[in-house]
Amino acid sequence: MYTFLKKGAPALALLGLALGSCQPELDEPKASAGSADFSRYIAVGNSLTAGFQDNGLYREGQLNSYPALLAQQFRRVGGGEFTQPLFTEAQANGSGYLRLAGFTAQGAPITAQVAGNAGRNASAPASPPYTKYLEPINNLGVPGIRMSDITTAGYGSTQGNPFFERITPDNTPTQTYLQRISASNPTFFTFWLGNNDVLGYATAGGAANSITARTTFTNNANSAIDALTANGAKGVVALIPDVANIPFFTTVGPTFRTTLAQANVPTAAPFVYTTGILAPGQPNTRVTNNTIANIRDASGNGNLLLTLTASPYLSLYGRPSGKYWRDFYQQARPSLPPTVPNLTVFLLALQVDTTKAFGQSTENPFPSTLVLDGTEQTNVRTATTNFNADLTTKANQKDLAIFDANSFFNGVATGGFATNGQVNSASFISGNLFSLDGVHPTPRGYAVVANEMIRVINQKYGSSIPFVDASAYRGVRIP
Amino acid sequence: MNLKHLLFAGGALLGTTAAQAGGFQLTLAGQKNNGMGGVGTGLALDQAAMFYNPGALAMVRERGVQIGVNATLARQAFRAQYGGAERQLDNTVSTPFNFYAGFGPAEGKWKAGIGVYTPFGSRLDYADNWEGRTALTSIDLKSIFVQPTVSYAVTDQLSIGAGLVVFASGSVNLQRDIQDPAQGSIELDGSSDTKLGWNAGVFFKPSDKFSLGISHRSKMDAVVTGGDVIINGVVSSLADRFAARKFDVTLPLPATTTIGFGVMPTEKLTLGFDVNYATWSRYQELVFNFDAPINGQTVSRSRREYQDALTFRLGGQYQVTDGLTVRLGGAYDQTPVKDGFVTPETPDNDRLTATAGVSYKFGERFGIDVSAQYVNIAKRSQTQEDLLNNGVANDRVAGTYKTIAVVPGFGLNYNF
Repeated sequence: MYTFLKKGAPALALLGLALGSCQPELDEPKASAGSADFSRYIAVGNSLTAGFQDNGLYREGQLNSYPALLAQQFRRVGGGEFTQPLFTEAQANGSGYLRLAGFTAQGAPITAQVAGNAGRNASAPASPPYTKYLEPINNLGVPGIRMSDITTAGYGSTQGNPFFERITPDNTPTQTYLQRISASNPTFFTFWLGNNDVLGYATAGGAANSITARTTFTNNANSAIDALTANGAKGVVALIPDVANIPFFTTVGPTFRTTLAQANVPTAAPFVYTTGILAPGQPNTRVTNNTIANIRDASGNGNLLLTLTASPYLSLYGRPSGKYWRDFYQQARPSLPPTVPNLTVFLLALQVDTTKAFGQSTENPFPSTLVLDGTEQTNVRTATTNFNADLTTKANQKDLAIFDANSFFNGVATGGFATNGQVNSASFISGNLFSLDGVHPTPRGYAVVANEMIRVINQKYGSSIPFVDASAYRGVRIP
Repeated sequence: MNLKHLLFAGGALLGTTAAQAGGFQLTLAGQKNNGMGGVGTGLALDQAAMFYNPGALAMVRERGVQIGVNATLARQAFRAQYGGAERQLDNTVSTPFNFYAGFGPAEGKWKAGIGVYTPFGSRLDYADNWEGRTALTSIDLKSIFVQPTVSYAVTDQLSIGAGLVVFASGSVNLQRDIQDPAQGSIELDGSSDTKLGWNAGVFFKPSDKFSLGISHRSKMDAVVTGGDVIINGVVSSLADRFAARKFDVTLPLPATTTIGFGVMPTEKLTLGFDVNYATWSRYQELVFNFDAPINGQTVSRSRREYQDALTFRLGGQYQVTDGLTVRLGGAYDQTPVKDGFVTPETPDNDRLTATAGVSYKFGERFGIDVSAQYVNIAKRSQTQEDLLNNGVANDRVAGTYKTIAVVPGFGLNYNF
């Protein structure tokens, strides 16, 4: 026995040594820039590019913006410094944003406003104007900007867009967005503008913010892309997704239908709403030939989309209620003419009688601001298709990569999008990809966007930029 | 070097190495066979014939008891397609074992015996926060089979045998993180029901130089009924969506058929060759049934779609002195896991195994067997596109796995 141990033990010890060195290694895939030069990356765009989420621009969203994630990956292939106009830690709440406070007994989300703290006037920290950020920056995303705004002088003034004002130098207050990006001198850029040219119309239920004319859109887009490529820069042009697929339009209608069904309200019950601009002096046309069955349900039947902002008013359907109109009056009051001095006159001008059943009677219709009907959806879809066609033409002319966000998000809406075995979808809150405003992505949604851009960059420029682990980024924060 | 040093060396092994076993089928049923690439169906080596070919038991000259234990030590690297750093398994060890006792008259035609062994098992602990954490964070599968066996020598050259295979004890512990946005983790922990199966074999040795055998082991199901569901850390506002407390699951185990040959060119040299066919295609999907909904679902289905697989084994032993026998062998093991279907609980691929062993007999009755296996599982990659094409992207992760295992084993035998 002892002899055996004497012989066997060294063998076993040797085995232990062999084992210590048997850890397999998988080499990191080689990363390369291909034919692109990422040394100076400039991001051009709107709220999506700025990292806007939960109906606000705040530091966490900025840190997880898709340009920040792209720049982080570009650094693996020679990318340079990437500066964003971050809100400071002390002003991390930025413009303020929505948080999820909980759920009702019926499972409907309850959101609450987190007050902003980036106002530069100490008396109004939650309001614009915001504390200026005047260092050189690479992320030029401006929440709210439309393609039609990029040539507007004064857009960066206190009368203009507060987010552009925040980053516009004091000595060039009339610099347009086009001038700003023309001076940015990128070696590589991403260009994702134009969403607001249809989105503003859509989120207002087609009741405000007309869709930008195609010629304006295309001329401005071409000027911007010409300016960015003037020195031979390469880049990505992102197309505009069809907004009818986002949770802002797909969440409330199905919930409403379920609630009505549980309350045994027949689907043949009338659903009366207004169309067009809703204001005193406008026709305020009633649409009376629809029923509850026309509101899109969970299975996709019905053509009327209700906005996320309709949520507080849906429980009033069929009841005499003036809640919406009072809220609307408060909102509209500052811009009303002297001929509309009070709520009574305001209601008369809109031909609204709040003693009638809300949403069921022509005298108390559901407001157009909360409904995107078939005609409006067609307008949105036509504009999106046209804009995307023109963006594609220009991008191809300049031999740029194209991120077709429209087909991508259509795919997400139909089939979901798994990231490292995590199931994501276009559903509100549970889908992980869209933030509490129902329009803008979550950090995970932005990470997915970054990966899709990396994919088209790699294809176009023969680069091999590694993807990010989108699952490591959060969806909606649930209490 | 003395006993203390030996224990130290053993301790170092246990402390610094991870454990993972082949697919989840283990072929570590006999310490002598372990040193010979796992051959045995065409040979009558020792009491472990009860496992390899019960028909050969009647041809085993000795009666006796033997016990063996192995330490399955695996090292794995994983790199996600969507992610950064290389991930490595946490270090764990599993210990497949075997025990056999064979009886019967010294010169009679009958032999009987009982075997206890662990043919299926797996243990893996993935690194914290690894990319596939919602698919799996750890798995621990154990099974103990007990097999009463009889064997009868029809002639001097031909013997047959059969065993009643009792799935006596088994357990599963499976843990994974819950999908966002709920967060938290779920643990499924249960013991398997007792199940019965059989094995049988024929052994034919027409001359001193040649033998051949065929054996079959029936299919079985590992069934867990009423296992515990333990859910932790779900965000409070969604906690009532995770009400399940009990689960049921069935894991199909393959039937295996093996043909083996033995060649004895001299008295001291024995060579074996086995081909094994396992009906893994029984394993089409993994279905958990819960007693209450988990995020709206009382059934969790995951596609596996395994395919039947072959294993080829070759090994030999040489008796150097009266006491000392040395062994070498190798095996090639086809994976049952199709491309684009790899899951973290069996990050499998075709594997090449090299083995070595040594036995020493202390006199006529007592012997000791030492074996070692080196298992190299080929690198396995699958892309997100593969997963999407197969429709399985929702419960597994795209990336590349590479696994190497070392399995030292130690056995004692006593003949009477």
